[in-house]
Amino acid sequence: MIIRWTLLTVICAVGVVVSLAAPATGGTNAQGARKRKPRAAINRSAAMTPRVSLIDEAGFKQLLTRGAPPQDRPLLVNFWATWCDPCREEFPDLVKIDADYRSKGLDFVAISLDDVADMMTTVPKFLRSQHARMPVYLLDVPDPETIIQMVDITWQGDMPATFLYDQSGNVVYKHKGPIKPAELRAEIDKLVVK
Amino acid sequence: MKKHYIAALVFALLVTTSAIFVERSARAGDTPASGAVIGQPIPDFTLPDVDGNKHSLASLKGKNGTLFIFIATRCPVSNAYNERMDRISQDYKARGINVVGINANSTEPAEEVKSHAAEKHLSFTILKDDGNKIADQWGAAVTPEAYLLNAEGKLVYHGRIDNSRNGDAITSNDLRDAIDEMLAAKPVAKTEAKAFGCTIKRVATQ
Repeated sequence: MIIRWTLLTVICAVGVVVSLAAPATGGTNAQGARKRKPRAAINRSAAMTPRVSLIDEAGFKQLLTRGAPPQDRPLLVNFWATWCDPCREEFPDLVKIDADYRSKGLDFVAISLDDVADMMTTVPKFLRSQHARMPVYLLDVPDPETIIQMVDITWQGDMPATFLYDQSGNVVYKHKGPIKPAELRAEIDKLVVK
Repeated sequence: MKKHYIAALVFALLVTTSAIFVERSARAGDTPASGAVIGQPIPDFTLPDVDGNKHSLASLKGKNGTLFIFIATRCPVSNAYNERMDRISQDYKARGINVVGINANSTEPAEEVKSHAAEKHLSFTILKDDGNKIADQWGAAVTPEAYLLNAEGKLVYHGRIDNSRNGDAITSNDLRDAIDEMLAAKPVAKTEAKAFGCTIKRVATQ
């Protein structure tokens, strides 16, 4: 019994030390960190750089199904574009949801309807300004209709649009227009392990 | 150890019940089915244009058909189609098709719609659908979104103008194809087509 308590105390103490130390090293910006610790800086900047990749119809389908169900993680998919005002307005809420739920088991991907020409410019610039960490895919399809139909046959393609898939790949929640964060969080809470 | 079993059981129960609730709310989240149905006539309505003059559906009907397009002043997708929409209006005027724009965005007042039309050289009539009543009746969700009525006032095509927002990769000229088929007295092959666009900015509902 004593051993168990001692062990617990040690674990707690280590936890406190680590959490105290983390902001001290993480608080400085990535550039400062790069000078001192090159290897860590590379990892860190890689994590901070928004990942934007092109995705075609087959790739999108694969993304949605993620291989064969059942999956161990629910999936949140948001359709947006930098040219879409309400999309930009809701984005900070989505970034917060991503930060709060990724460690709890939620996968989140953002599907951009921006032009392919904007993939290296406008899109990552916006994502950086939002401190966005989720993978972003830019749709590169000859006909958008196939994508819209694949996601939801009742959807007219109006943006933003957000879809939540459960571990079996079923849409369990969808919302057209800017998200209502509390409502979306409540739906995610039903799927992730608390 | 027994406590763990009870906790697991409670958790399993919670998961099952929440799954049932999730299923229900997903259905509740469906957008209502479009009010306008292919092959069916559109009920008459009256809406003011951007100068406040009232127009009924009967007064707007073209000899061979009528094309309504939900448009916006601030939506980049709708704006990308300004030139194409006006060209359709010009091209088909002589062939008895009347093109009418409808702005149902609560965020875009009539004066703004008027000055935008002048600036972007939109020569067709534009109606202001305050309170998005017609958008609701027809189930319009996005800008631009087209509704093509034949000479009898029946809906023969609903949806996008074409498949390429920027116009650089048009492979499917859905709206023009539908108009041409209608004018040739052929059945419209593709009666609905979708594209990504901006949400119609409806008035807030409680």
